[in-house]
Amino acid sequence: MPIFNLNINNKSYSVEAESDMPLLWVLRDLLGLTGTKYGCGVASCGACTVIMDGNAVYSCQRQVGACVNKKITTIEGLSEDGSHPVQQAWQKAGVPQCGYCQPGQMMAAAALLAKNKQPGEDMITAAMSDNLCRCGTYHRIKAAIHIAIEDINK
Amino acid sequence: MQKQKIDRRDFIRITSLSSGSLAIGFLVPGFRSLDLPAEDCEFFQPNAYIKIDKKGKVTIFFSKQESGQGVDTALPMIVAEEMDVDFRDVKAAIAPFGSVRRGEHDTGGSQSIMEMYTPLRKAGAIAKAMLISAAANQWKVKPSSCAADKGEVVNTITMQRIPYGELVCAAAALPVPKEVSLKNPKDFTLIGKSEKRSNLKDILTGKAQYGLDLKVEGMVYAVSERCPVLGGKLVSVDDTAARRVPGVIKVVSYTGTGAPMHVRAGVAVIATNIWSAMKARKLLGITWDEGDKNKESTEALFKTFAEKAVQAPQIKVFEKGDTGKNAGAVQMTASYAAPFLAHATLEPVNFIASVKAEGCELWGGLQLPDWAVNTIASDCGIKKENIKVNLALMGGAFGRRLHFDFAIEAVKIAQQVDKPVKLLWERTDDVQFEPYRPANYHQLTAGTDEKGNIIAWQHHVLGTPVAYMTDGPNNPHPEEMDGADGGFCYDVPNIKTGYTPVPFNINRGWLRSVDICVNTFPVESFIDEIAARFKRDPYEFRISMLENRPDFKTGEGPGSFTQSPKRVAGVLKLAAEKIGWKEKRKPNHFIGLATHSFIFAKSYAAHAIEIEILGPKKFRITRVVGAIDCGLVINPDGLLNQMQGGLAFALTQALKGEITISNSRVLQDGFFSYELLRYDEMPPVEIYWVDSQEDPGGVGEVGLPTVAPALCNALAAAGYRPRSLPIRNEGFSWV
Ligand code: FES
Ligand code: FES
Repeated sequence: MPIFNLNINNKSYSVEAESDMPLLWVLRDLLGLTGTKYGCGVASCGACTVIMDGNAVYSCQRQVGACVNKKITTIEGLSEDGSHPVQQAWQKAGVPQCGYCQPGQMMAAAALLAKNKQPGEDMITAAMSDNLCRCGTYHRIKAAIHIAIEDINK
Repeated sequence: MQKQKIDRRDFIRITSLSSGSLAIGFLVPGFRSLDLPAEDCEFFQPNAYIKIDKKGKVTIFFSKQESGQGVDTALPMIVAEEMDVDFRDVKAAIAPFGSVRRGEHDTGGSQSIMEMYTPLRKAGAIAKAMLISAAANQWKVKPSSCAADKGEVVNTITMQRIPYGELVCAAAALPVPKEVSLKNPKDFTLIGKSEKRSNLKDILTGKAQYGLDLKVEGMVYAVSERCPVLGGKLVSVDDTAARRVPGVIKVVSYTGTGAPMHVRAGVAVIATNIWSAMKARKLLGITWDEGDKNKESTEALFKTFAEKAVQAPQIKVFEKGDTGKNAGAVQMTASYAAPFLAHATLEPVNFIASVKAEGCELWGGLQLPDWAVNTIASDCGIKKENIKVNLALMGGAFGRRLHFDFAIEAVKIAQQVDKPVKLLWERTDDVQFEPYRPANYHQLTAGTDEKGNIIAWQHHVLGTPVAYMTDGPNNPHPEEMDGADGGFCYDVPNIKTGYTPVPFNINRGWLRSVDICVNTFPVESFIDEIAARFKRDPYEFRISMLENRPDFKTGEGPGSFTQSPKRVAGVLKLAAEKIGWKEKRKPNHFIGLATHSFIFAKSYAAHAIEIEILGPKKFRITRVVGAIDCGLVINPDGLLNQMQGGLAFALTQALKGEITISNSRVLQDGFFSYELLRYDEMPPVEIYWVDSQEDPGGVGEVGLPTVAPALCNALAAAGYRPRSLPIRNEGFSWV
């Protein structure tokens, strides 16, 4: 099996995997980074969202072979202690119910805010509408994003 | 919960019956320090819920299963309140399976708070009393001269203080008191104040471990291909290509089961990693014997419903007065329908099983673990005593994990390999093979006087009952009638309700808010239709039938509940007031109302929904007001989260949620075809609650049933009366 060198959360990992294995399963099952979640495997839920070279991407849709020389951030690397403004905002708004979708939600929000510190409502909606939450925490996600925007612009 | 088969009603009866008694979890060996000599003591653990170590670190164990409803916070809050410890210093942890009485782990029916409120207060009070006694002994004063405050015992004469941690060994040597006094709720300092979820930081940093995140030493992975028709059998499998996929260990098959869980016959691919298993699965060549029940369709089912709806119900459910003799001067009828629904938890079901000669160990999320163990024992031929269960955090449940079909499968697969196996249901499996919320149809008939006052009310519910699946088709008990039985809350002199079950070959299960949600949609729609026909204000019309009606019992014996029409009216008043029902509406804006009682969880909720009409059958939801009365509120933030999230869950099913079936196969296969509400569709929501000192009720389900009828009543006010869910099928669109 081929070996791939990956840059994840500013650490380098080398993993042995079939080259078509989605990054999602590499993270979860080979590297033990289980914060990134499986929800569908077919780009329909956003639970597996990670940040790759600054963009929010579905890790279930990226084969590991296409992830070398990319800078990958997962929820574990957003901050280790929950101090990232998005995590802080999620904490203040008390967003999670079951919490399963939330790593994906936070990665989508973090990618948006890294690119644009003051996104308008339309941009927020566009960035967040493909991340499903079965528990229905959208109301609080919205509140949390506004808290985060306020915090990073202080 | 002694018997192996239970239906949901039994489950609710049993859990609510046990709630009055002092049912404090017992201790299992290795889980107690009471027998140890004082000098060897490491911690103080007076019962299954509380552990305090010598450093004063307090762990509170919750025996209900966490899936997003917040029991991991609300239950420990109850204990901490009586113990007088600072909640921020408390660690909350899952009570290990078997550490509490049988059946106590059962989680469903919004029962957790109701069941555990008093026992947990006692558990906390016992710990506090023992710590106080230990301190009093040390100070040589009476316990009555001591008090507890923020994790310390205070000598009220000298004002000396000893932290709980320093009293651990002395307290552990004391006998556990049989009687303790509880706080006066007026003195609560924690209950009633918002607390954030106890595992919030773990969730936010990705450290929270759900069932799917668990890894067991030596574990391998499996996915399974199932017979497309329920009840079918495997004829043959060609696994040559599948076995060639690198990483594949083995391909195994297993037979299906009957009641209660209806596992389908399947062929599983076991591999060193999940990706190999998924790829290989696609290469299996399988021939199934579908059996003769392979022609079912929802189209035909709804036709059958409509035909049978006008006949007399097969089963009489509730009768009061005489709807024949007192039919009323004006007759109205209407029918309503709603489809099968899937739970679609965002964490698809999954389970880990390890089967060895000496026994079997299981890991995963289960809402009814005791029942699961009993059934696994009989379905898989393993001794119950040899099954060890490790309960896991769940990424959503909504009733899906009351079922444990996936756990039985995992054991059947693990029996054929000498390693622990993690079985994953891919999303397609989750949407296509789950136990669905039953499809249902309603025929309503009302007789009124000239002014629209209801003289006679008839409700015929038709459905595909869950009980036929869990208990077999000979169960005559229609458990699908809450909200349309003796608990019907409006004051109508003559009532007749009944049920007609229709056989259908697809598995069914309980979905959040269950039959109350099913029956509130037609009831609250029809009440509105009657009001409209007689030009009565739908708010006043409802209030007039609720406000003066005294509380009543829904039936006889232990299965009956108390219905409070006044509280049903109370939440409606609150919702109407907050949305400004009596105020002038903006142009093209319409408001719909609905109210109900979530009777077996002792809670009440109403919704007022305002829409703006943008074109023919096109609308925007501009405001949602939810009002709830659940008695004493334990954690207001948890209550708000359940009501806000419940709105999204209910809107999904009002707007677009639908499972359709053709040739006994589910046509949806994931989130593209079984759509959930999205971020951009979430309307603004405000939640209000009634300040109440009544015993606490459950809040996980009460926020759903009135959403669809309130929305439909708003649309009806605008000139469009939806009669079936999801309303998208009737040509409605929204922004
Ligand atoms: S798991 Fe990748 S989008 Fe759902
Ligand atoms: S919090 Fe449960 S799916 Fe989003």
